[in-house]
Amino acid sequence: MQYMLMIFVNEARYPKLTPAEREQGTAAYSAYTEALKKAGVLNGGSRLQPTSAATTVRVANGKSQVLNGPYADSKEQLGGYYMIDVPDLDAALSWAARCPGASHGVVEIRPVWTM
Amino acid sequence: MRYLLLMYQQEAVMRNLPKETAREVHGAYMAYLDALKKAGVLVANHGLQPTSAAATVRAPNGKAVVLNGPFAETKEQLAGYFLIDVPDLDSALSWAERNPTASHGAVEVRPVWG
Repeated sequence: MQYMLMIFVNEARYPKLTPAEREQGTAAYSAYTEALKKAGVLNGGSRLQPTSAATTVRVANGKSQVLNGPYADSKEQLGGYYMIDVPDLDAALSWAARCPGASHGVVEIRPVWTM
Repeated sequence: MRYLLLMYQQEAVMRNLPKETAREVHGAYMAYLDALKKAGVLVANHGLQPTSAAATVRAPNGKAVVLNGPFAETKEQLAGYFLIDVPDLDSALSWAERNPTASHGAVEVRPVWG
């Protein structure tokens, strides 16, 4: 079963981190990614640029409206995601709990439709 | 340059479409998917199960707290994504405009690091 793990973190915190904290954060994500790979459950993922680089597009009556910014303003922002393939929700939840994002933000888990 | 196109739709509306409309919408997504593939810009795509199937996890002190439901309650809900590889933001935006969700919801375009 495939699940998307979406990581929501407060992106305003990132520029305030010391270089050592940044390095620590990068190392934690690298170790997590490595663990997912070793377990053979990793099926993709991306680290997103901040919401300041987001654009939202709607088309009404054939006319397109392009707005700067993300779809929704929230306290924490989508910063990236992992796609994982695991037997069940419990396994997905335990991987989510191990994600560094869970300790400084929140990880949302959504099952994916299989086609 | 890789861009993530996040599709926000009203789940309740999409779930209750008349059969004929649902078939048309499905056809529009298939055509869009096909166009992305033909253009050689598609990296990955997934449709998500509804937010009723979502859970969120926080583990602030190493102890996991699991809640049912999505992270954010919004008027429209994240229904899936397309990850595309295109030369610049303008072409990402033009693919976002062609995405069927743009006509009945919103498509957020986010550049990806690396």
